[in-house]
Amino acid sequence: MIVVDDVHKRYRTDHGPGKWVLRGVTLTIPSKTNVGLVGRNGAGKSTLLRLIGGVDVANRGRIERLCRVSWPMGFGGGLQGSLSGRQNAKFVCRIHGHEADMAERIAFIQDFAEIGEAFEEPVKTYSSGMKSRLQFALSLAFDFDIYISDEVTSAGDAAFQEKALSAFQRLADRAGLIMVSHSDGLLTEFCTAGIWLNRGEAVWFDDINDALQAYNQSIAMEGASL
Amino acid sequence: MPAPEHHARSHLTIALAVWKALFLREAVTRVSGSRAAWLWLILEPVAHLSIVMLIFSAVRRRLFDGVSFALFLAIGILAYNLFRNCATRSMAAISANRALFAYRQVKAVDVVLVRAFLEGVIQFFVGGVLLAAMSVVGFHTLPHDPLAVFFLFAVFWAFGTGVGLILSAGSTLVPEIGKLATLFFVPLYFLSGVLYSPRILPPEMREWLLLNPLMHGLELLRAAFFANYTVVSGVEVGYLVTSTCASIFLGLALHVRFSSRLVME
Repeated sequence: MIVVDDVHKRYRTDHGPGKWVLRGVTLTIPSKTNVGLVGRNGAGKSTLLRLIGGVDVANRGRIERLCRVSWPMGFGGGLQGSLSGRQNAKFVCRIHGHEADMAERIAFIQDFAEIGEAFEEPVKTYSSGMKSRLQFALSLAFDFDIYISDEVTSAGDAAFQEKALSAFQRLADRAGLIMVSHSDGLLTEFCTAGIWLNRGEAVWFDDINDALQAYNQSIAMEGASL
Repeated sequence: MPAPEHHARSHLTIALAVWKALFLREAVTRVSGSRAAWLWLILEPVAHLSIVMLIFSAVRRRLFDGVSFALFLAIGILAYNLFRNCATRSMAAISANRALFAYRQVKAVDVVLVRAFLEGVIQFFVGGVLLAAMSVVGFHTLPHDPLAVFFLFAVFWAFGTGVGLILSAGSTLVPEIGKLATLFFVPLYFLSGVLYSPRILPPEMREWLLLNPLMHGLELLRAAFFANYTVVSGVEVGYLVTSTCASIFLGLALHVRFSSRLVME
């Protein structure tokens, strides 16, 4: 379970503090629930994911992770360019306390990513597709109660996407998921509940379809008022 | 509210796992990053020492009775390099590990401390190899007071770490600080008395230069190394240790105060 209590967030800009991205978000996200996060560009979806993932700190309010929560997966971070794919994988194993069964996990990552000999080359030589393959494989190699996914499913080429989606489905079945996607189809496929981020506040929906409906209506209304 | 269903790792376990992972990550790129990187680690101080020796050997051979000038220079260069490498390499640690802050277990202070630690280990081996090699060639490299030598090298290490902590935070928040610091390290070499003893300075100048804790450290180190070397008045171990503690405290305080901004910028 993740408790988000009255979280406020704004970023520092070159001209002092920016506008509030999140203004009092309060949520309780149960484990084993798949939640889709919807909202316009810039509504704070990635910001909220980063805060939940613990890689950023709220200006006000608190976030409690009462279960194992993944790092925010999929926005291109988490890979050190000067290290090879294998060395990156080892690093992630180590910081997650999997020193003992590292060999198996590395083997899984190498097998799933299917990047061939590039696995031994520095990540900075990778194409963006190879990078996202490796990232996706990394995210599957660890057991979390809740996974945070920022457009992870759009990884790689067509062949990989198919494999990635079926792996993602298995993951969604066994653990909780908080995901951002701009595809309504993916959201309804993987998620049961939904969060609509609007004007810095979050609205919880038990049904993802209701969340999508509320979000799409708000867009339509804005379009009509123009 | 149900209890967390997993076996949570303690903060210490996580920190140790992160430090180990970072240490190995840093060691790999430092020692095998470029072709024969480990060789350059040794060659750099050797070349440094050779060049300085070449310049000064024409001028003088012996500084004081029983003190070989080559050894005098060697320990000065080793100690100064230990400090400078710790400080400058940890200054760059945050930007070099930016990608790894995607994992919440990794904090800015971790990458700085681990880098400074690794640098200390490396310089320790480099120093050992250099002194062993000099001993083979015929220099008397066994220190007069080994315990004090170890202690002073540890202080140089800690001071470098403290300055590294300050500069890493400072240069991440205000990039100009990093540029100024890089500029400042050039005169610092000459202001620290790596090539000379403060006793050759006029007293009023010496007073000013002794504001630099490194000069105290180098002078104390030579006194610990050579039996009949006496430190000039005004050199105090307390000043060196106080400065070291202050730098570490200030550095850690900056990392605590700006912990979230350091991984964000």
